[in-house]
Amino acid sequence: MNEIKNTVVNRPICLLLGALGGQGGGVLIDWLVNAAKRAGYPAQATSTPGVAQRTGATTYYFELFPEKNPVGSPIFTFFPASDDLDLMIAMEPTEAGRAIERGFVTDFTTVITTTERVYSTSEKVSAGDGRINVVPVIETIEKASKKLIQLDVTALSVGTAARGNAIAFGAVIGSGILPLTPQDCRAAITEKGVAVASNLAGFDIGLKAAQEGVQPIQLEDSHTYQKAPKEFDAEISVFPKTAHDIISHGIVRLIDYQGPTYARKFLKRIKKIGDIDKDQTKKLTSETARHLARWMSFEDVIRVAQLKTRPQRLPRIRDELKVDSTTPLKLTDYFKPGRDEVLGVIPKSLSWLVPSLNKGVALHIPTGSAFGFAMLKFLSALKPLRARTNQYIEEQKAIDQWLDAVIEANSRNYYLACQTANLAILARGYGDVRKTGMKKLDLLFMDWGKNLENNLSGITAQVDQLILLAHSNPDAV
Amino acid sequence: MDGGTALARITNTGERSFKNEIQKLTLGAGEEFHGEGILAVTKAILQSGVTYVGGYPGAPMSHLIDVLADASEEILEPMGITYEQAASEAGAAALLSASIHYPIRGAVTWKSVVGTNVASDALSNLASTGVTGGSLIILGDDYGEGSSIMQERTYTFAMKSSIPLVDPRYDMERMVDLTEQCFGISEASNMPVFLNMRIRACHLTGSFTAKDNKVAHFNSNNPIPEQKYDVTKIVLPPASYQHEIAKFETRLPAAENYAKENKINEFFDGSQENKKIGIITQGGTYTVVMRALHRLGSADAYGNSDVEIYCMNLVYPLIQSELIDFMANKDSILVVEEGNPNYIETQIAEIAHTNQIKCRIHGKGMLPMAGEYVSNVVREGIAQYLAEEGPAKISKLALDKNAKIVEKTRNAQSHLADPMPPRPPSFCTGCPERPIMAALKMLMKERGKFHISMDIGCNLFGSLPPFNVGNTVLGYGLSLASSGAIGPVLDQPNVAVMGDGGFWHNGFTSGVVNSQWNKYDSVLVILDNGYAAATGQHKLPSTGTTPRGLESLLSIESALKGVGVKWIKHVDSYSLENTIDVLRQAMDARSEGLRVVISNNECMLAKQRRIKPAKAADLKAGKTVIHEKFGVDEEVCTGDHSCMRLSGCPSLTLKQSKDPLKETPVAHVDESCVACGNCGEVAHAAQLCPSFYKAEAIQNAGIIRKFTSSVNRSLLSLMGSD
Repeated sequence: MNEIKNTVVNRPICLLLGALGGQGGGVLIDWLVNAAKRAGYPAQATSTPGVAQRTGATTYYFELFPEKNPVGSPIFTFFPASDDLDLMIAMEPTEAGRAIERGFVTDFTTVITTTERVYSTSEKVSAGDGRINVVPVIETIEKASKKLIQLDVTALSVGTAARGNAIAFGAVIGSGILPLTPQDCRAAITEKGVAVASNLAGFDIGLKAAQEGVQPIQLEDSHTYQKAPKEFDAEISVFPKTAHDIISHGIVRLIDYQGPTYARKFLKRIKKIGDIDKDQTKKLTSETARHLARWMSFEDVIRVAQLKTRPQRLPRIRDELKVDSTTPLKLTDYFKPGRDEVLGVIPKSLSWLVPSLNKGVALHIPTGSAFGFAMLKFLSALKPLRARTNQYIEEQKAIDQWLDAVIEANSRNYYLACQTANLAILARGYGDVRKTGMKKLDLLFMDWGKNLENNLSGITAQVDQLILLAHSNPDAV
Repeated sequence: MDGGTALARITNTGERSFKNEIQKLTLGAGEEFHGEGILAVTKAILQSGVTYVGGYPGAPMSHLIDVLADASEEILEPMGITYEQAASEAGAAALLSASIHYPIRGAVTWKSVVGTNVASDALSNLASTGVTGGSLIILGDDYGEGSSIMQERTYTFAMKSSIPLVDPRYDMERMVDLTEQCFGISEASNMPVFLNMRIRACHLTGSFTAKDNKVAHFNSNNPIPEQKYDVTKIVLPPASYQHEIAKFETRLPAAENYAKENKINEFFDGSQENKKIGIITQGGTYTVVMRALHRLGSADAYGNSDVEIYCMNLVYPLIQSELIDFMANKDSILVVEEGNPNYIETQIAEIAHTNQIKCRIHGKGMLPMAGEYVSNVVREGIAQYLAEEGPAKISKLALDKNAKIVEKTRNAQSHLADPMPPRPPSFCTGCPERPIMAALKMLMKERGKFHISMDIGCNLFGSLPPFNVGNTVLGYGLSLASSGAIGPVLDQPNVAVMGDGGFWHNGFTSGVVNSQWNKYDSVLVILDNGYAAATGQHKLPSTGTTPRGLESLLSIESALKGVGVKWIKHVDSYSLENTIDVLRQAMDARSEGLRVVISNNECMLAKQRRIKPAKAADLKAGKTVIHEKFGVDEEVCTGDHSCMRLSGCPSLTLKQSKDPLKETPVAHVDESCVACGNCGEVAHAAQLCPSFYKAEAIQNAGIIRKFTSSVNRSLLSLMGSD
């Protein structure tokens, strides 16, 4: 006859690990199993890799009975359960969010999560900004759980080869929830024999981070505005304060793009908007300024050549590859100008010379070599000719058409004016992407005045729709 | 040519090295085994004196196949055990015919239910004939979370072919005993036996005390003296009618008796004052039930419970007498039966009815009709059962504890604002199948959408975002066969995508031969990456070597030519524009019968597993190593993410731009990039943008290279490069 034993230790410690295929979750679990075995605690781990191992979300589940050689053999099971998880480890913050979604995390659960986002396909494919903001996700985890330990893996591992799974392993032990000692765990890592040195380093980093409660530096994804040269101060001062930063930044951009005269063209254009912007937010002015500066610095071949030959570009790429300045570096740039792009760099009068290149000419330019670099340098040196090129003329026409549309829209209502300003997002990208966008604008602005007259609400809806589409996944619509 | 690539491929086996595992399989009597569930079962087979083992890989069974392949020299050959990784599950099942006449034991394995579907022809015949030697079929049940297949029950196969089905309780010691006893059941009943292993059980870790491996009396080192002939073993009338009678009059009852005598199923007592309720569970869900009872206050952490449990490790056939005893004096029972239809519950109800047992039988009424019986689900169901049928004390406790859990969970969830992003499996970084999907998507933009039949394997990810190409999937190797009826009624030719795994499994006969015979106007795209990659880099006839490392040069192209396919073109999938061009030609060559496009690029996981360590070694040894990576010039990227919609590469991701003029994040290539070149090719082929660049650092360069590069550098700095 069975009698329920009311022992002090009356349940296993339960741990759920949420990771993406390739993040080393399986290795982490192996370490835990091995460490538990060395320490003499009964434990069981299981997982459901299947095809999830191919970059999808996957989970591992681990139970440890915190009593050495217990009276009977404790029951271990396979599934995490609500309000029964002592520890939830996420190798990516939204995976911790997922564990909450699935009801595994409660105020009984300590959550250890890495803070760096790994964006999902659904976030990447948006033509706008489809990213899920990590800040509210972290806040949610903090509210929903008993305790939150954040691991900024990039910051923590600086100067080491430590990987996230080893750091997380250290943090698990640092959290003090499992009865395992760092010695058991280091021994487990050594025995596993996979990248032992870097994993031991990672373990110690994570251990320390959890014990000392190291808070990650929340780096703000803030923009950095550049300051326009002194001589522009007077011209900028006539604009509302709220628009100064962006206008000043725009000036710097356009001087770099073409020169001071061109920058003044920008000021002249934005002035027209500033004059009609009667709203105290002055949103129309700053928004238009932002779009205008971007559009006026449209990426023609000359511009791309300029950007590809920027000083510091090669050193930056060396850093990416983590090689010093003396290591030979081969660099290949992928250019494929279509007819329009080629026309972009020759005077309109000569355009008949250019054959139709419906597929474009595929160029692999060895920018890393003196020759390739010189070639691009030459292209970028064509700046002075820009004003006479086909693309320049077309773009300027489109820009003025758009600005007039903004002004006209403003005579109807402010909201529509701001939205019309935002329509400039359609003038972005290269090749077909840009062509299609520009065509849309042209079509919309053709009988703009008349349409505003007859069908204001219809036009407003159409504009809103266009902007929505420009910020969503084109494949989904 | 694909013969050539096959040769060029590596000849080392599987996804990992299995040295440790093999050591565990050689443990002797009294030594402690510690490892994964599926390895424990493998050890149990060796302890049972088998003469042959075989199977077809597929999660969660792959490990068994891999380890045995590696173990053949060290373990199998000395024991005279024949090993075969069959070309399909049907082939693996056919191995069991060895045990029809002869007293030799054998075990085969595959993924259920998909593999069992393929094997059914052989299984039905085997089950009719019956076996002399113990025959075990180990099924990896891929049901529930993370499953890559349709959700069905193996139980149906057991019932229709009268094959005893064992669903073991997951205590490793017990699991190993039960595996060995399966051979006993088989020999007692003259039937093959299913051992059903849930995916989580295959991957669970645990320990048991090993026995010595047992060498079978008859084996390849000690052959059977003479072959046997017995017409009653042939599935033809009148024998087949005798077989059917035998199944129900002698074989299944024999299985039942053996199980009863050997206590295969287990009774766990409840507390004295609580004899009126009980729970019947499959062995596989026992620990879930016990955890639920524990959390509801009716059991402790060791499985001592207030509630009586009948744990069925043999779930088919049912052991009538045991069930009658269990139900006899009870007011009610709860049957915890995962999956649907609820065959067990209905059989129990029928037993109760025919034996006039007045015992209320609960089951699917309190538990969900379908879906995996995870802890939360079972806890809810048992809470309801205890509340309705349990004595006051137990029922109150269960209700309170369950309510508290539910409330705390809701509170936690209430903090969630937006849903988390979905994260389905996809192509790995640098996967050679990715550019093919990009090519198909771009071709659709060019000529309108056409119908694509996908196949089983990694290629199926092409039907997910960002590609969304692929309209149907009907089974392993069946993509081309799926063209038959849909092709003629669509304006564009039907495209069938198939991996080399699918080709050899079923695609050649059911697909290529069929399409040649029935004159399909179809395009077959074969993704010959060298392995059954989705199951974990398993060898195929065209890989170049067998699982045991022997040379094998079966060639996809020769097979195609052999059945008269004329239009065959090879592509390097990474040269995107060429790939698109060849696919276009294939689409347009409508008068030329079946057109086959083969991409020969090796699975990138396999490739990286080989070259990463090699590069590291070379770097250490001071040899010249090229460290390459793609990148994006932030200033050039305009942030419309067209490249992402044609790639989906994990290493191609988003990055916040510092530029206030950019309202959307820019593209960024992270460190996991393996420089396959796809992003640059996509940018070219789709004329997207000039943001992408390829960077190659030549480490440990030779003197001359160093010199030219320093000259180059000084020229560059003259032009203001730094």
